[in-house]
Amino acid sequence: MAGFFRRIYDWLLSLFWATEMDITMIGLQNAGKTSLLRVLSGGEFTTDSIPTVGFNMKRVQKGHVTLKCWDLGGQPRFRAMWERYCRGANAIVFIVDSADIAALPIAREELHTLLLKPILEGIPLLVLGNKSDLPDKLGVDDLIDELDLREIKHREVSCYSISAKEETNLEAVLQWLISKAKK
Amino acid sequence: MSYSKKDEDGDQAIFKVDRTTVFQEARIFNTSPISPRKCRIQLTKIIYLLHTGERFPTAEATTLFFGITKLFQHRDPSLRQMVYLVIKELASTAEDVIMVTSSIMKDTAVGSDVVYRPNAIRALCRIIDATNVQAIERLIKTAIVDKTPSVSSAALVSSYHLLPIAKDVVRRWANETQEAVIANKTGGGFLGLGSSSASIGPPSGYMTQYHAIGLLYQMRSHDRMSLVKMVQQYGSQNASSIRSPAAVMMLVRLAGKIAVEDSNLRKPMAQLLEGWLRHKSEMVNFEAAKVICELPDVTDAEIAPAVHVLQLFLTSPRAVTKFAAIRILHHIASFKPNTLQHCNMDIETLISNSNRSIATFAITTLLKTGNEASVDRLMKQISGFMADITDEFKITIVEAIRTLCLKFPSKQAGMLAFLSGILRDEGGYEFKRSVVESMFDLIKFVPESKEEALAHLCEFIEDCEFTKLAVRVLHLLGQEGPKTSQPTKYIRYIYNRVVLENAVVRAAAVTALAKFGVGQKDEDVKKSVVVLLTRCLDDPDDEVRDRAALNLKLVKGEAEYGWKFIQNDSIFSLPVFEHQLVMYVTGDQSTFAKPFDISTIPVVTRAEADAEDKSKKLRPASDLPTLKAPTITAPGARPSATPSSEAAVNAAAASQQYAIALSAVPEIKALGQLLKSSRVVELTEAEMEYVVTAVKHVFKDYIVLQFDVKNTLPESVLENVTVQCTPNPPEDAEEEESPLVEEFYVPAPKITVDNPGTIYVAFKTPEEADGYSIATFNNVLKFMTKEIDPATGEAEEAGYEDEYEVEDLELTGGDYVVPAFCGSWQVVWEQLGTGTELTEVYGLPKETVKGIEDAVNLIVSTLSMQPLEGTDVPLFTSTHVLKLFGKSISGGKVIAMVRMAYSTANGVTVQLTVRSEEADVGKLVANALS
Repeated sequence: MAGFFRRIYDWLLSLFWATEMDITMIGLQNAGKTSLLRVLSGGEFTTDSIPTVGFNMKRVQKGHVTLKCWDLGGQPRFRAMWERYCRGANAIVFIVDSADIAALPIAREELHTLLLKPILEGIPLLVLGNKSDLPDKLGVDDLIDELDLREIKHREVSCYSISAKEETNLEAVLQWLISKAKK
Repeated sequence: MSYSKKDEDGDQAIFKVDRTTVFQEARIFNTSPISPRKCRIQLTKIIYLLHTGERFPTAEATTLFFGITKLFQHRDPSLRQMVYLVIKELASTAEDVIMVTSSIMKDTAVGSDVVYRPNAIRALCRIIDATNVQAIERLIKTAIVDKTPSVSSAALVSSYHLLPIAKDVVRRWANETQEAVIANKTGGGFLGLGSSSASIGPPSGYMTQYHAIGLLYQMRSHDRMSLVKMVQQYGSQNASSIRSPAAVMMLVRLAGKIAVEDSNLRKPMAQLLEGWLRHKSEMVNFEAAKVICELPDVTDAEIAPAVHVLQLFLTSPRAVTKFAAIRILHHIASFKPNTLQHCNMDIETLISNSNRSIATFAITTLLKTGNEASVDRLMKQISGFMADITDEFKITIVEAIRTLCLKFPSKQAGMLAFLSGILRDEGGYEFKRSVVESMFDLIKFVPESKEEALAHLCEFIEDCEFTKLAVRVLHLLGQEGPKTSQPTKYIRYIYNRVVLENAVVRAAAVTALAKFGVGQKDEDVKKSVVVLLTRCLDDPDDEVRDRAALNLKLVKGEAEYGWKFIQNDSIFSLPVFEHQLVMYVTGDQSTFAKPFDISTIPVVTRAEADAEDKSKKLRPASDLPTLKAPTITAPGARPSATPSSEAAVNAAAASQQYAIALSAVPEIKALGQLLKSSRVVELTEAEMEYVVTAVKHVFKDYIVLQFDVKNTLPESVLENVTVQCTPNPPEDAEEEESPLVEEFYVPAPKITVDNPGTIYVAFKTPEEADGYSIATFNNVLKFMTKEIDPATGEAEEAGYEDEYEVEDLELTGGDYVVPAFCGSWQVVWEQLGTGTELTEVYGLPKETVKGIEDAVNLIVSTLSMQPLEGTDVPLFTSTHVLKLFGKSISGGKVIAMVRMAYSTANGVTVQLTVRSEEADVGKLVANALS
């Protein structure tokens, strides 16, 4: 019986307040996806994280919204599987290392191939230029040019420059994501 | 309340699930938020389907798998448990399963819920691939030494499964595993929850030890010395750190395996095994007893303590203990009946046991150990409960009686009565078949019983529901009937079948009938057979009419011609025939250019085949797969009292194998047909740096010595290996030098630890010596040895020449003799007469030959002849007569009688009498023992 009431309580709670949303975080290896997610969920920034094999799932609570963040591995062998986790997501977050200019063409290619999939049409995209604390990083405008973000049609695209280490601009990222849940 | 009710509904729904619906419904994994209960039911459906044998195609499995990965977002413990179960099942069919690695690893971490951890570890090892094992190394290492038994067990078992895909990484965990063995973790009952095996059965405590020992064994299985160390370390009584009986069982089996593989270690291992006989767990006692009696050529002294322990168990109040004990004793009885003499009393009390399985084993054991006098009494007791037991046990009893018939032919009357009695009972095909076959054997090998047994069989086919058996009986009647005093009696029975039975039986009956007609001296009988056969010409079945027509032709035609056809008394040697055909079919295109040559197949006469058959049947009737105690050794390594005789049976097939290997070498192929290959002779101790074994091959004009060299030093490589063989004539010969001349040799280019090499040395035999030369070869291995650089694994440039002397190889008379069977040893013995008889007397060396049994084995293997009439098993310890038969490579018969006497003072003294068709062969054989 106790279980029964508990369930009703949970259900009521979710009906009025809580909103859940799926966020998929992708990007090349070593872009800082796992670190960013750790910082977003209130953890400490560390530099010694190991490459993600497969994916990590973390919940980030922000007000009454629960963000279910799927942090996918960025190594080439996992890129083919990004699409499976982007399906039906509320937003796709594409993270690039804004200090690693050599990797940008590959990032651009991977991003555009993914977005061409018809099943992902209309899902909002947020591009984050991570590691803005490093000296020779690219600015937001340069990133937009490098990644050809203007070419992307039929969806909402935003681009922020952030730093997971210094926690710059993270609040804006969360606000952007939550705004996608209200629709 | 409502909760449980809904679960019930779910359970019922599960029995009408099919793959496509389940696949469609699996979309609920992608919904948000997740309902753990619904998902769990869905997962259960998937598991159910997989366990009923349904397979998801790769694409579907992959989709399902990725759906399931989404469920990691929910922390419901029972949902997570199901998720792991399904992941384990789908891991082999779905693609990209590596995707969940990170998520699972999070669950295995020390801080995570203890319910998740074992399950997560077990799932992890299924999805990981060789390249990623390194990533989980630290995790598994900590899990192995974890203080929670279920986690530790899971990690150990997972490592066991990882071993084949990532040997080197897993081997590095040896220290942790050893720690797990000593750690002594108890309990593990409720913490394991569900899938962890730690919670099964009463001996759940210390289960970790069992897993750890299993893993250690797998890690070291390539390295015998460390295995031995492990068994001795954990096995010794005073260091009783191993509390888990299952773990000790594992050690027992290992000890047995080591003892079988390495004769030098047999003694210490046997001591350990004896210690385990007194272990406090029954399970260990039984295993130790079983392993001891599985040892090859086990001696009476070794087996005695095992028998003693088993005897104590016979009086145990628990039926299962009694059953286990009697089953092992039954096995012992089939090869060492004399060791069980003093248990007979205990076993007899078990005959009346209310558990029929125990009673059956008791009675069959007694039948094997008993003497002639007790047989009748036992038979009476058996008939008492025959009706109460199942077919399976009835077959065991019939098999025992069949062996008994052959052992004590004088008791045939009573046994025949018993067999015919149970033949009338109800029973399935297998049971009836074994009874009928026993009667066949009686007819074949115990001539006195023939008429009566045939009469019983006639009666049996009058009312036989099994077509197959009726056909076999009819065939036998046709074969044996005409030779009896009153053949007409059987004709009536056979013709009844023609009138009453189905087409298959009718056809068999017609053929049997014809055998009475062909070559029949009595004109009346012949006439009536012709009349009967003529009637069969109107049969509705084609086959029956055809046979009748053919046989009529044979009966009316030329007597001799028909007789030869019907008699059909020689057959091709079937193993060789089969092998040749396989070779022909699997050869390359060019072999089809000429037709298969059937004349190369040796022909065996029926008498020879029968003799071989009989000696096989006299072997312990333990070939029954259903009731034999499960063995740990491979079937090839079956212990047998006399391995030599079995080798002889397969000699023809074995020499075929050599023939193929030899014909691959062009120089040797040119020498012609291989006549005989000897058994493998060991020229070094097993522990040496290089292990050399030799095989002698005899060709018409040549002798080829084959040396197989094994290099046991991993850090060196041998190149260009040759053997320098110097033939020396026997000591008493007049010549200074052996007449054998070295013709050529084939060196082995390179020998490493993994690649043993073979060297051939060929000698030409002088023509005047009739092809039978004997000699002793001094052998020196010559080679270039090079060190292997451990860093690169490559051999170094520079090496040095080295020599290695191995033991001498003797070419004796036995190498020219092939073991063979003959119908009656006595007949051949008389046939050959005393004209060529040679007698020699020898004293066998006391140090190596410790009794009659050793002597028999030694003589059989040195002379390379076939022991006949069951004389390869000595019945007394002081005297024995061994009867041997063989054929020389040119086909002449050689027969030998060996009288032996044993006394503790003089050892075994042998008198060897040889008769032969070729005088020089006889001489060679007579001198072979010196």
